[in-house]
Amino acid sequence: MRAATAAVVANPWAGRGPDADLSVASAWLAPAIAASLLDRILRGLGGAESIEAFGKGAIVGTTGEIEHGGALIHTPYFGNLVRESLEGSSIICFADSRGAAGQPLVVPMWHKSAAATRSHYQTVDIRIPDAPRPDEIVVIAAASTGPRPHARIGDRTTDEAVSWNKLIGANR
Amino acid sequence: MNVRKIVTIVDETMLEGGRAVSPAARVAVVAAIIENPWDGQPFVEDLSSGIRDNASDIGALLAPKVIDALGGPVEAYGKAAIVGLDGEIEHGSALIHTLQFGDHFRKAAEATTLLPAVEKRGPAGVTFDIPLKHKTDATVRSHHQSIEVRIADAPHPGEIIIALAAASQGRPQARLAPLSSEQ
Repeated sequence: MRAATAAVVANPWAGRGPDADLSVASAWLAPAIAASLLDRILRGLGGAESIEAFGKGAIVGTTGEIEHGGALIHTPYFGNLVRESLEGSSIICFADSRGAAGQPLVVPMWHKSAAATRSHYQTVDIRIPDAPRPDEIVVIAAASTGPRPHARIGDRTTDEAVSWNKLIGANR
Repeated sequence: MNVRKIVTIVDETMLEGGRAVSPAARVAVVAAIIENPWDGQPFVEDLSSGIRDNASDIGALLAPKVIDALGGPVEAYGKAAIVGLDGEIEHGSALIHTLQFGDHFRKAAEATTLLPAVEKRGPAGVTFDIPLKHKTDATVRSHHQSIEVRIADAPHPGEIIIALAAASQGRPQARLAPLSSEQ
């Protein structure tokens, strides 16, 4: 089971230009967003113990900067709280985009405590028809209760050592 | 009935027109992506056996899920059938335009009116809007609303998306005069 939860918030820095200090609003807004997203994702998927993979994302409206989305998802005020609530330890993979309302985003996820676990590389699509408005940001948290269905492409422990040299050599 | 997957959407509006909406206006959608029971067959004149074998089961599957997703009493409701490119719109209509399908939702939601519907054919990722109306009086203007849905990988050409939608209230900040005031 995969879930994506999204909050549509006013961009606190819209129209403020690249000199705006992003840290102050990030420190109060990002935890508030994280709390509402995590509450829903935990309820939707049945608690942290059910969750095996996670990811995050942001879609910035057209008058904002990609950096504004980053300020909401790429700081400890969001990432650390997601990791703590979902009981993970990995870095959280992400996608970000800027666009008009209805812009879709494919949100990547990987294993919450062993990011290199290949079976858990997966994505979830999200699209909100009327968001983001130009001065809004969509902030997304995503999680999955397991690997891809029928994951069967091996893992780092089962891979052969592949190199150009070896491939070209084998064809000679 | 072969179900490939089930998608749940919960839309919560806290602010509309710049004013707070309290409690948040909630709309839930649950969609099942099923194999088109008539897929791969030449024109089927009599759809009744496929209806009999599937419509009630799909209604029974979806009704409790959408009420659970909404998390409170249903005030408005609607339904959808979105047919993959190899099927006929009639195949989707066959599954949702029967009492065997709709009565599960109607009973669970304590509703009496006909379920407003969208029927459409399209590729995977097609967008569709599910209309919702008040569950006991389809003339209640405050409850006329719709919700847009898109599932990136459905329907496959041989599939049908069957969906139910439920709202816990009318439109956020609804303030149109009732129909009766114009009569």
